[in-house]
Amino acid sequence: MKRYLALAVALIMVVTIFAGCGSTKAPDKAAESKSETTAAKTDAKKEITIAFLFQDLETEFWVAGHKAITETLKAKGIKVIERNANEDANKQLEQAKDVIAQKVDGIIIIPQDGESAVAISKVCNEAGVPIGVFNRPPSNKDAKSLVVVANNEKIAEQAVGYMAEEAKKLNKKMKPLIMVGDLGDPNAVGRKKGFYNVIEKNPDLFEKPIEVPTKWDAPTALANLKSAMQANPNVDFIFTSSDFLYPQIKSVLEPMGKWKKIGEPGHVMLAGLDGDSTAGRLMDEGYVDATGVQDLYYEAQALLDAMLDAISKGDKTPNQWIDDPGFALTQANMKDRRLDMWGNKLRKDKGEIK
Amino acid sequence: MSEYILQLKNISKYFFGVPALKNINLELRKGKMLGLIGENGAGKSTMMNIIGGVIKADEGSMVLKGEEYQPDGPGEATDAGITFIHQELNLFTNLSIEENIYISSFPTIGRLPVISKGAIRTKTRELLDSIDLKLSPDILVEKLSPGERQLVEIAKALSSKPDIIIFDEPTTSLTARETKKLFELINKLRDQGISMIYISHILDDVLNLVDDIVVLKDGEVTDKGAKQDFSIQRMVSSMVGRDLEQMYPERTSKPSNEVVLEVSNLSQSGTIHDVSFKLHKGEILGVFGLMGSGRTEMARIIFGLDPYESGEIAVDGKKITKSSPQNSIRNRIAFVTENRREEGLLMHSTILDNIQLVSLREYAKTILKIVDSKKVTESIKDVVKMLKVKSGPVEKTAPKSLSGGNQQKVVIGKWVMAKPKIFMVDEPTRGIDVGAKYEVYTILNQFASEGSGVLIISSEIEELIGVCDRILVMSKGEIVGEFSASEFDKERIVGSAFRQNVRC
Amino acid sequence: MSARKNPMDTKLQENPEKRMFRIPDLRQGIKRIMVSEYFVLYLSILWFIVMLPVIPNIASSRNLNNIFDFIWPLLAVCVGQTLVLLIAGIDLSQISVIGMTSVIGALFMSNRIDPNVLSDSPLWGTVISENGGIMANSMWAVPVGILMMLLVGSLIGLINGYFIAKLKMPPFMVTLVTQLFVYNLAIFLTKSNNIIGIPKAFTEIGKGKIGFIPVAMIITIVLCVLSQLLLSKTVLGKWIYAVGSNVKASVVSGVPRDGVIMFVYAFSGFCAAFASVIYSGRLEMGRPTLGQTLLMDIVGATIIGGTSMFGGKGKVLWTFFGVLFFVLLTNVLNLFNLDTFTINIVKGLIILLAALFDVIRTKIQANDTKVEKAGA
Repeated sequence: MKRYLALAVALIMVVTIFAGCGSTKAPDKAAESKSETTAAKTDAKKEITIAFLFQDLETEFWVAGHKAITETLKAKGIKVIERNANEDANKQLEQAKDVIAQKVDGIIIIPQDGESAVAISKVCNEAGVPIGVFNRPPSNKDAKSLVVVANNEKIAEQAVGYMAEEAKKLNKKMKPLIMVGDLGDPNAVGRKKGFYNVIEKNPDLFEKPIEVPTKWDAPTALANLKSAMQANPNVDFIFTSSDFLYPQIKSVLEPMGKWKKIGEPGHVMLAGLDGDSTAGRLMDEGYVDATGVQDLYYEAQALLDAMLDAISKGDKTPNQWIDDPGFALTQANMKDRRLDMWGNKLRKDKGEIK
Repeated sequence: MSEYILQLKNISKYFFGVPALKNINLELRKGKMLGLIGENGAGKSTMMNIIGGVIKADEGSMVLKGEEYQPDGPGEATDAGITFIHQELNLFTNLSIEENIYISSFPTIGRLPVISKGAIRTKTRELLDSIDLKLSPDILVEKLSPGERQLVEIAKALSSKPDIIIFDEPTTSLTARETKKLFELINKLRDQGISMIYISHILDDVLNLVDDIVVLKDGEVTDKGAKQDFSIQRMVSSMVGRDLEQMYPERTSKPSNEVVLEVSNLSQSGTIHDVSFKLHKGEILGVFGLMGSGRTEMARIIFGLDPYESGEIAVDGKKITKSSPQNSIRNRIAFVTENRREEGLLMHSTILDNIQLVSLREYAKTILKIVDSKKVTESIKDVVKMLKVKSGPVEKTAPKSLSGGNQQKVVIGKWVMAKPKIFMVDEPTRGIDVGAKYEVYTILNQFASEGSGVLIISSEIEELIGVCDRILVMSKGEIVGEFSASEFDKERIVGSAFRQNVRC
Repeated sequence: MSARKNPMDTKLQENPEKRMFRIPDLRQGIKRIMVSEYFVLYLSILWFIVMLPVIPNIASSRNLNNIFDFIWPLLAVCVGQTLVLLIAGIDLSQISVIGMTSVIGALFMSNRIDPNVLSDSPLWGTVISENGGIMANSMWAVPVGILMMLLVGSLIGLINGYFIAKLKMPPFMVTLVTQLFVYNLAIFLTKSNNIIGIPKAFTEIGKGKIGFIPVAMIITIVLCVLSQLLLSKTVLGKWIYAVGSNVKASVVSGVPRDGVIMFVYAFSGFCAAFASVIYSGRLEMGRPTLGQTLLMDIVGATIIGGTSMFGGKGKVLWTFFGVLFFVLLTNVLNLFNLDTFTINIVKGLIILLAALFDVIRTKIQANDTKVEKAGA
């Protein structure tokens, strides 16, 4: 008897679900009828809820990115639902479905990778919830989304451009070296391109650059840089495609007597890209000339503005590519823009600098 | 002070309203031994659990050494001077003798939480000396024979300096010699003034050892008195509630001359050596031997559970090339192992699942091997009926809820389903009560009369003499004696097992 | 029997309090529910009803849709794990099988592969190229791809089974090593990159619907029903239970132990690959790291269902209830907007409770049999 009762209850559950499926075919009607009561309540003060799904906070950059987004959202009085996917793409997909069920007005994700950004955007498109992808662009344009990405080429150009201006003052031909990232990563490609844009613009200033592959791997970078420097001890101009390689650069240059502050004899001009706290520290100490910075605060602001715009217009599948031109923090503009660099902001939050 | 050290007065116990014990009155005299007998399920274990503080009585009271005794947990029973020697050995085989004895109360160095190895060793040695066990205290228990383990159990019990020791089937896994030694020790303990309760199915032993006897049946005391007033007959009839005319059923058929199983020169180093014998259709052949004589090992090899190095096994004159349990089953050999719990039963599955296990394939002829559950259930119900298994519905009841005798019938039933022509049984009546034993013998008789060959391995010589047509004696992995029914003589057979006689 | 019962009855009437005549009745009722095989289903329904006023959102059609979306792939893996637990084993390698077979499927089916991403792969130029995988753009790509996924999954399981059955190695060790090995092989083959360009016919298995009914639901239920039939109706099924209950007794009774063990582990790998088909379809990619965080969910949901870790006890239906409860639980925790750490802590506690509950249930059943014995 109990057995049948249990089965009957289970059956009813299943049936309700299919009924539910049926009604999703006309999502607007169902949503309207259900949200009528809540709409009445929230009419006076339309509270917007945005879900923020991030893959994990494994590096300083993502910690800063997470902070930039949550702070910007809260500053606007938006209710935030946060979800950490622990680097599991499938979990992030399920989390997206979960928050859609909670009727969020929009979703901002830091995806695990470009491929999962596409899969999740598709789900949001189907559900009619605007989605914004932060800093890791979707790998193709199959789905509609707001995307904000740093323009690596422009940022690199700005940093290397500053170095070129400084080099001109020295009145000698420079021997440049670039530490190239993993070229499977579009970021690395952009950064390399930006570097060459500047070099090619000044054929009189630069000799042919030396390329050191790093594959975004510290030991590889160290080994390759060491042999490159031994073969070309006259290198006096180094651009690293990512700031995280500074410790490796230091450990190669120091024994060669080339780890010198700006203005000291034998100083090798140094610049990088990212804007992390190590770069901030080295700039304060005077070892590094310039850093190309992804302007996380601009990115967060721009993405959110676009999102709110779409929400107010009722655009459920906004599709827009927002470029972050970034900026170069240089020894020249340090005074004004020092705290615009996210690495320095982290240092300030930790109380390391004022 | 009375002459009784322990008295139970009107003890009753109910499990969810079902009575397990009803108004039990029982007295244990100081420095004497009380024999407690009864069929499985008669309430012996419940009673012992009450005395041992494992469960509480619902009604009645107990008096220990003149004082009200209400143990709250087994620990209090031990403190009050009552210890148990269980049927199943409760030793940790991976620990040494001394560690086992002191596992619950390691003596420490001063107050430090450090075990005093020296103290343990001396104390253990004293204990072992007191029971005449000449073993080093640091030997691992896994290296001891069952008999030695039993003695270690007793040493462990003695370490708490008890006034009362309760033995629950202590001889189940012992050989005759070990049993004899145990009895000597028990008598010695009695001389030292320790009171004991002795529970056993082996009525001869009870009659020889104890001073008083109490018989339990269906949770009630049906008979009690001084040993002198009891005979085996009286004990059995009080236990069973009827008179058993005899312990063994009459043979109804004669063995034929046709050989169904022939074993020649079977050898496996370390276990058996050059074993040869023939089993005839309709014959009940007994194999007698002490523990470690190779009798069980021989059966396991024949059945294909263990490998052999040389020799031949032939069924119906056909040599077996690849020996495995599956092949043996195909050749219609059955093997009831000596250890029901470990090798015989799926304790938590249903009786149905147990009985069908061997013959599943025969009830699933389709390519998908789907079992014809209707047909198989019908056959099983027939088997259960034939074997008189007392149980709830076979689809729901698990063997663990059955008495030992009914469990054994389930194991036998599993093989009956496979319609064997060779039926090997190893210690088929161990730990089961008199009534069930009789029924097991009857089943084996019936198989013989239907033309199967039956091979019984047993360490109870009376049993073999009672049911067999012929008895082989094994010692140290070899067959050392063969006796036909006309030559059956207890002394000679046991003697030959001890190798006092050469092959007759 | 009746003659014996009568004096008892009169005794009860004389002194009802002392016998606690009423209380056991209520207790019996609770116990009966606890040992009932529908217990976890009752629990799920209760959980749902209790949570309904707290978070009405739980009953929204979209949320119910989600719940019944997340169940299927997890259920498929858990069915495999159920069989493994039935023979008192454990399969830790399932999570890596999910990732590996996801890659395998994509290697066969992908229609376009970005050279920038995958040209470092050791398979580049031989198995995969700019033009996609082995069977790119072929009409047979999807069936062959799925077949290969299931085959590879079963094969990995079979290897586990071989080591456990024939070499008598502990399942925990064997499957842990397989987990590590297979995971890193998948990473090596793809250099940790995802393979995209999966045909739509494949992704529809994970996401598509026939009418209102999700395809994933249909195929998973078919898998469940077939597995349950295998367990309850066939010789092999009975052997699986027997091996789990008592290996020694099974061998004596002629059960081919090694074969049973190897089949069960192969089946476990098959189920993991089956789930991988759904997961990969939903993410539209071959993903080497797919499934890596699922182990706790798989073992947890299966145990919550009531399948015993000690072997011999369990059913596919129970596992379905277990997965249902587990997904419902996770869903509610998510709807409360708790952070991941809290969710994982709560999940962990629930799994621990389920394991504890297994012990309690076994005890209750043991006590019940004691009663029978005393009454017999």
